[in-house]
Amino acid sequence: MIATGARNLRRGLIVRVVAFAAALPAVAHGQSLSQRGFVDARGFLYPQDAPNDSQNTVGDLWGREEVFAKPRPWIQFAVGLDARANTDDQVDASWHIDFRDRTVQRPALSIRRLAATIARGRLTLDAGKQFIRWGKTDIVTPTDRFAPRDFMNVVDAEYLAVTGVRAVVATDANTFEAVWVPWFTPSRAPLLDQRWTAVPTTVPPLTLEDGGRHLPEGSQAGVRWGHTTAAGLEYSASYFNGFNHLPDVTIVPGSAPTALAVVQTYPAIRSYGGDLAAPTRWFTVKAEGAYTTSDTPGTDDFIVYVVQLERQTGEWVLVGGYAGEVVTVHRAAFVFAPDRGLTKALLARAAYTIDTNRSVALETAVRQNGAGVDVRGEYSQARGAHWRVTLTGAFLAGHHDDFLGQYRDNSHVSAALRYSF
Amino acid sequence: MSFVPSWLSSVQAADDARQVIEEAQRRTNSTSQRYEGILQVFDAKGKISDKRWILERLGAHGDSKMVLRFIQPAEVKGVALLVVNHPDRASDQWMYTPAIERERRIALQDRSTRFFGTDFSFEDMEERDVNQYDYSLIGDDTLDGVATWKIQSVAKQTKSSQYSRGILWVRKDTYAFVRIENYVKDKVARRLVYSDFQNVQGIWTARQLEMLDVARGSRTRLTLDKLQYNVPMQDEDFTIQALRRQ
Repeated sequence: MIATGARNLRRGLIVRVVAFAAALPAVAHGQSLSQRGFVDARGFLYPQDAPNDSQNTVGDLWGREEVFAKPRPWIQFAVGLDARANTDDQVDASWHIDFRDRTVQRPALSIRRLAATIARGRLTLDAGKQFIRWGKTDIVTPTDRFAPRDFMNVVDAEYLAVTGVRAVVATDANTFEAVWVPWFTPSRAPLLDQRWTAVPTTVPPLTLEDGGRHLPEGSQAGVRWGHTTAAGLEYSASYFNGFNHLPDVTIVPGSAPTALAVVQTYPAIRSYGGDLAAPTRWFTVKAEGAYTTSDTPGTDDFIVYVVQLERQTGEWVLVGGYAGEVVTVHRAAFVFAPDRGLTKALLARAAYTIDTNRSVALETAVRQNGAGVDVRGEYSQARGAHWRVTLTGAFLAGHHDDFLGQYRDNSHVSAALRYSF
Repeated sequence: MSFVPSWLSSVQAADDARQVIEEAQRRTNSTSQRYEGILQVFDAKGKISDKRWILERLGAHGDSKMVLRFIQPAEVKGVALLVVNHPDRASDQWMYTPAIERERRIALQDRSTRFFGTDFSFEDMEERDVNQYDYSLIGDDTLDGVATWKIQSVAKQTKSSQYSRGILWVRKDTYAFVRIENYVKDKVARRLVYSDFQNVQGIWTARQLEMLDVARGSRTRLTLDKLQYNVPMQDEDFTIQALRRQ
């Protein structure tokens, strides 16, 4: 498998990334045109074999270029392109530029963003493929419904853009926001034959097959109102009517006696949420919660909430809190839901800036019943104006039927070298 | 020997100090400002990083809004800070981080934190307004051969500051600030030194500012490049939504 991966890397990755780098515009300069980008090489080492995956090393190469053009003070265009390659077949090797982010594998070339922003007076209008973030908390964000993520490596998830229209009207103390997304972008789930899809150890080994993904075709919409007081208290209320970007999972018999087919459906949901950030003398208290309900059969109704304390002091950034879940109506047999998987858990993050070039961070999630633990440490160092090295270690442990615990074979270390330009 | 009662002398000195600061503020009034800031951060051993930002300010002093956007190094391009200054209280501040596509309010209790690896704190990014402090004249002083007033400022309760007091040196010829020492309790925490004064569009402006973090022994030199005053700007470019635009 390693040899196959290495061949794939040689065949696809180098050509693709060199072509991408050659196309990077050096033209982005001046007031009305700006760019940013990076090339990132990353290696993962998993010391343990997983029941369905004995690949212990994974290499990743990733390039990004984003250009922002502002031909007039009131309008801006943004375009971003990602290029990726991977030694473990996590990237679709076909040569096409993906726009919709609906593929099971990561696309080799994809439009990361493509949007126009118009600002006139109190109105800001964004149209196109863009990032929409709601909520105030950090590790779990229950109201962040327009923010699907790439969960290929579950614990290290990048946000995906959605395509739609967002209008924001801001007054001095109030913000009114309306979002319409004509087509659905799912979160990218782990590949079924890889270690981030956990399967129990059985004799003979169990294999999972793709039983199909049913992507909804309807549109999604949401509104949000936010208010800020002179004392610094911020709070928002939001409503979302659309689809869960995380799937309900149905398991059916596969093509062989030891095979199971996984069918993924994305239920229609409505979500009513709120968030607040309240500065106090010692901490900022942040809270966020959402009640999610569904008419889709086999889908839970549930409340997810987070309360966290946050403080920056000296060189430290400290965040600690609790995420909770209440299932009001239980209907689902299986779900892939990292957001709910990190609930009933204590969450904490501490980051320390050693100096202007070096930092360390530690992030933990511990389930309250002790059935799952995720501890991640990171050391990062910049060199010169462009280079950064990041070393990460992740320790996962727990019981096989816990969301975090099921990944107990996936503790790993990684090293990343990034060149930003 | 003076025949003026000491308490009356103190009131007179306070009035003089406030008048000096008022005049300094009047002379630096502009409808807007734009510059490219070149930052060099030095630790106790030497230079360790360069940064560059573009700063735009609409309004002046306690009635102003400011957006600061990093353009170098490459990995922090797009990181932006919005500061909304108020005449009667501490500013509101939000920081936008492109990596998570999200803005975050900088809470008052976090304002003493270093701003993005520089020796400026978030509070230091605010614009001072004469009405936010009480002043008293300490005396006259000469810095680098230039005659100055030495003035103590203490933040009013509504301002909410990490600093217990500040000592300001103001040039007598141009009313420009040449040095500010900010104290936490009885120790100097940060020292800001202004230099390379130039008259830009009628405003005497220090083109170089150097902030020393006394406890760390590190310093950040900020050089103002492409400085312009009274540039046409729009209010809608100084909002949280505008932070997301590049």
